[in-house]
Amino acid sequence: MGRKSRIMLGTVLALAMVLSVLVAAGCGTTNYTGVTGQNKLALSGSTTVLPVAQEAANEFMKANKGITVNVQGGGSSVGIQNVTQGTVDIGDSSRDLQATETSAGLVDHKIAYDIVDIIVNPGSVQVKNLSMDQIKNILSGKVTDWSQVGGSPGKITVFVRDSASGTRDMIDSKVLGKGTPTAVTNVAGATELNSNGLMKQNVASTKGSIGYISSGYADKTVAAVNVGDVVPNLDNAVSGKYVLSRWLHMFTKGQPNPLSQKFIDFVLTPAFQNGPLAKDYIPVSKVPGGTGSSSATGK
Amino acid sequence: MSENKEIRLDDISEAKKKSHSAARKADKTAGAVIWVAAVIGLLLLAFIIVTILWRGLAIALNPKFLTGSPAPLNQSGGGILPMIVSSLYLAFLTLVISLPIGIAAAIYMSEFAREGLVTRAVRFGADALSTVPSVIFGIFGLILFVTYLGLHFSLLSGALTLTFLNLPVIMRNTEQAIRQVPNTYREASIGLGAGKWYTVRKVVLPSAIPGIMTGGILTMGRVIGESAAVILTVGITTSIIPVSPLDSGAPLAANIYQLYSEGALIPDYLKIAAGEACVLLIIVLMLNVLARLIARHYKKMGSGRFV
Amino acid sequence: MKLKGDWVARKVFFVAAMMVVLGILLIIVLVTKEAVPALTKIGPFKILFSSKWEPSKNQYGILVFIVGTLLTTLGALIIGVPLAIGIALFVTEVAPKKAAGVVSNAIELLACVPSIVIGWLGLTALIPLLKSLTGKATAFGLLPASIVLAVMVIPTICAISVDAINSVPDAYKQGSVGLGATRWQTMRHVTLPAAKSGLVVATILGMGRAIGETVAVALVIGTANVFPTSLLSPTNTLTTKIFTDIQESSGIQHSVLFVMGVVLLLIAVGLILIVRKVAPPITKVS
Repeated sequence: MGRKSRIMLGTVLALAMVLSVLVAAGCGTTNYTGVTGQNKLALSGSTTVLPVAQEAANEFMKANKGITVNVQGGGSSVGIQNVTQGTVDIGDSSRDLQATETSAGLVDHKIAYDIVDIIVNPGSVQVKNLSMDQIKNILSGKVTDWSQVGGSPGKITVFVRDSASGTRDMIDSKVLGKGTPTAVTNVAGATELNSNGLMKQNVASTKGSIGYISSGYADKTVAAVNVGDVVPNLDNAVSGKYVLSRWLHMFTKGQPNPLSQKFIDFVLTPAFQNGPLAKDYIPVSKVPGGTGSSSATGK
Repeated sequence: MSENKEIRLDDISEAKKKSHSAARKADKTAGAVIWVAAVIGLLLLAFIIVTILWRGLAIALNPKFLTGSPAPLNQSGGGILPMIVSSLYLAFLTLVISLPIGIAAAIYMSEFAREGLVTRAVRFGADALSTVPSVIFGIFGLILFVTYLGLHFSLLSGALTLTFLNLPVIMRNTEQAIRQVPNTYREASIGLGAGKWYTVRKVVLPSAIPGIMTGGILTMGRVIGESAAVILTVGITTSIIPVSPLDSGAPLAANIYQLYSEGALIPDYLKIAAGEACVLLIIVLMLNVLARLIARHYKKMGSGRFV
Repeated sequence: MKLKGDWVARKVFFVAAMMVVLGILLIIVLVTKEAVPALTKIGPFKILFSSKWEPSKNQYGILVFIVGTLLTTLGALIIGVPLAIGIALFVTEVAPKKAAGVVSNAIELLACVPSIVIGWLGLTALIPLLKSLTGKATAFGLLPASIVLAVMVIPTICAISVDAINSVPDAYKQGSVGLGATRWQTMRHVTLPAAKSGLVVATILGMGRAIGETVAVALVIGTANVFPTSLLSPTNTLTTKIFTDIQESSGIQHSVLFVMGVVLLLIAVGLILIVRKVAPPITKVS
């Protein structure tokens, strides 16, 4: 072969090799379409769900090369709004739908169960148990000193979540009776914190303080109290003895598209549920009424 | 009679001495107070820099921290490379969009426009944009770019929002630089038969480049240090390095806030926040020093480009 | 060809300049649009002049936040203006050249420290200090917020004050010194009064910065929807409330947050008009 033809042959072979490598890399991922593009999945919503959703996204992307999952926050309301508008595939939420959101045709996928602890500052508060009424009185400001609930004298500093938080909504409903004729409101001067992390840090560093937090965030810097002599753990939550708990949701508009379904299925696999998710939340399989999606019609 | 005069003169000089010493006392006290004010200012800066470095430098100088990605849930040892890239990418994107617009607007205001309704409206608009709180920019960007235009949380949404935030700064710096170009240059160029646009392009702009560069670097510093507007338009957490402008990201400032709020599931989140704050401060300070070095360098060189 | 290039260039640059006007108009229109539902359903008076914020009872009074914004700004100015003008006098009148350069550079560096860093330091260094000094359980409130804001406005006020003082004609100062006045007498009776309008502009621009600061205040103010009872009791401001609630809010509460945005915009525009009244020539240059 002449020199020129050898060079040409070499170039063609090289090109062929490069092309085949590219084709091979592209193969193996079937093409899914999400609302943000091909092989792209977008989530937004509750910042409570965010860490778990992000973790699921990371694991999902490792197992499905070629697919990008983008998780952002914005809050439960933003997530629900985005998925209703169709700008994201899945909207994360730490609360149920409100009356105005139920007609959007959203489908509810419960992905985790969350127990909410009542926490107090461990160094200064010796009280280990509070009844629902006592918690209600403390949160509403009727009771202002620890001595009134069996502790040593000290001013009670109340921390609550922000008024649109799903956690606050749940506490307000179940403890303060929100929505019932005998509802009371949180004490007017309570500091509103808009995240679990801030709640934990504030209760941990403020003497005589009380607050509430997702149990996954609680660590030894805060002390969880029993509610009505019921320990906040999984068994009591499942059996209904411990009432301060709620679902975490992923909403889709109508039935999920194949990519969203793949992701939600992944989130619901036992490996993920009993692995990363179980460190902070409760797998849905352990709670009755959890498995299976349902049409979201709100509370 | 002369005795009285002498006495009065003595009295006067006595009184003068007294008021003079009183004035000197006041001067000394005032001087001391002013020195104290200056020292307080220095101490404030020193306290901020020393505390941030003390808390975060050891963490920040770890190569694994600077080049790694965030750790999986509940694990420590994560890195912040996606956050650094997000910050720099966002600054770059904002510059790409806002520099041309800002420079063009400044050229219009200083070279082409005549005083009138239009210039007054533009000045008012620029003043207004620089007084609007950053959180308002944030909710504006959230409504317009993230939701309405469907760009959702992305670097592009952030860049577009921050463009409006930074236009006044770029305009001001460019205008200042342009106005410093002596009119003789312009007259010479026009006298030689060049058109206005040609004059601007070949004569005015080159001399204004240092000012434009300063404005650009200051904008970068501002973008990287911005938190509220960025949290609401770009995002607060990520594990992948953003590639396209439509990807979301987690700029350093936004991520620090996120770590402090919901990040508590990561065991060493406080350390990561400290490290991020340190990296953030160093980047911003370096940019600021760079901008001033450039300004000083060109000042020294003078506008003697054409001499 | 020359003239055509000019014509095209002029149009292009005009459009660019109008982007500024477009920007502020868009912001005003969008924020107001989102505020309309609350304004029509509840009415501006009930929102602006009521201090009861209890969304579960449909009460959306934002007076607490307006007062919080005003008080923190006032506190920031009380702490910041004397310090800033003192530093400005140091740099321009009192200090030897080298010291003036050092301080001047330091203040410029202070200006570029990100607000989240200052807020974070306020939360993790200032508040524990206040807690140990006063023995109180929480140390959120007006005091740490004012201190944090003061740190952020000092560079702004200082820079503009330096300009104002430097633009007092030398002849004035020399005349005063020639008459035998001390440095302080000159400053007090000649320089400062002559620079007054510039100093006022500096203060107002500092006020604008203080009103608009968000994250730094959010971390130290205590976010409680009540009036403060002391310098160290938790309260709230307009910017903080908007920032903390915007993401999770919906419906009417969402709209009320935009009403707060409208209030902030009105304050911003008001400040600009005041500055222009006080010192028209200075605003033209900027």
